[in-house]
Amino acid sequence: MIGVAQRMLKRRALAEEAVQDAFVLIWRHAARFDPQRGAGLTWIYAILRNRSLSILRDEKRTETSDAPIGEETASEEDDPETVMSKLSDAKALHACMETLPPQRRGLVLLAFVQGLTHGEIAGKLALPIGTVKSWIRRSLISLKECLG
Amino acid sequence: MNPSSDMNATPQERDALAGEYVLGLVEGADRTALEQRIEREPALAASVESWRGHLAAIDATARPIPPSPGLWPRIEAEIAAILPAAERGRLKALKAGNTLADWWNNLFIWRGAALAGALAAILLAIGLNGALDRAKRQPVMVAVLLTEASVAAAVVNTYPDGRVEMVPLQNIAVPEGKALEIWTLWDRTVGPRSVGLIDRARTTPLRLDQLPLGTNQLFEITIENATGSPTGRPTGPIVAKGTTSQAL
Repeated sequence: MIGVAQRMLKRRALAEEAVQDAFVLIWRHAARFDPQRGAGLTWIYAILRNRSLSILRDEKRTETSDAPIGEETASEEDDPETVMSKLSDAKALHACMETLPPQRRGLVLLAFVQGLTHGEIAGKLALPIGTVKSWIRRSLISLKECLG
Repeated sequence: MNPSSDMNATPQERDALAGEYVLGLVEGADRTALEQRIEREPALAASVESWRGHLAAIDATARPIPPSPGLWPRIEAEIAAILPAAERGRLKALKAGNTLADWWNNLFIWRGAALAGALAAILLAIGLNGALDRAKRQPVMVAVLLTEASVAAAVVNTYPDGRVEMVPLQNIAVPEGKALEIWTLWDRTVGPRSVGLIDRARTTPLRLDQLPLGTNQLFEITIENATGSPTGRPTGPIVAKGTTSQAL
């Protein structure tokens, strides 16, 4: 869990904070969990991801230090193609991701793995924000068709 | 796109929106509005769940990072702080059900119990990790605190992760309404800083947080009011003191 949070938050201390908050939220909302709607582990990760995203967006807003977290370099391990290579072959997602052009699949991975916004992805790859939005949207539609 | 305005969206648009939401690309007010729609619209909720299930494979590629030793105690402490309220709620729910059958049929309780079980298993796994970690840790610096009669009264251990703890070696008499306060002094011009307050001699973590920590740093225990020294400086009699040295 810390690994997932750290890919978004970059800093170890923030990642642990996200995990701590997530556990407390999980504890508080345990009764709200609906097994009809999904697996427990997916639910736990959804809470962790939500918490990490909130911390990420808040930090960016209030960051006063010289190195805003968004600009801290992501580790090479979090690079879209590295993530892609680690993706389990057994999963349908791997095969479906392979059908996308590498650049477009990269956009989807940057958003999910590093928690980047449309604007941040556009800035990082020097693409117009509208292009980023429509490519991600089209990638999602193709993925959904492939995943069924 | 305003997510509240496309109630008549095609399934394709709905799936794309659900995908953007799970990727974390729907933000601010749009996100709140969309979350309300997910509550109301089972098809949208199912799409979100399906994306989460598929994209979980990406989370599985994250490098596993062992928690730092302090994480688990912090989670435990935070949950312990909210536990009494939750327990009261559960008791109330039990009392509300008139018969055992009602209770048996109360899905809410079972669901909670099942999840609590699953959660306990996860927590246990993490806790176990923490315990193994603890067993491996050795102090890097030690200070033996001596009384005026040169009897060892306590030890201060500092660990590689920055944790510091005080372990008493003998019972220390604490007068009624008083407490033991632990101080550290690393620079005479700054003066001593309080790093812990305990009602009786017991093993306690010391809060050094941002304070410096090095060899030949003084730690001392004084007797102070139960709420701590009123001046922020040691005022009472010194029980024991000693300086840190590197552990071999």
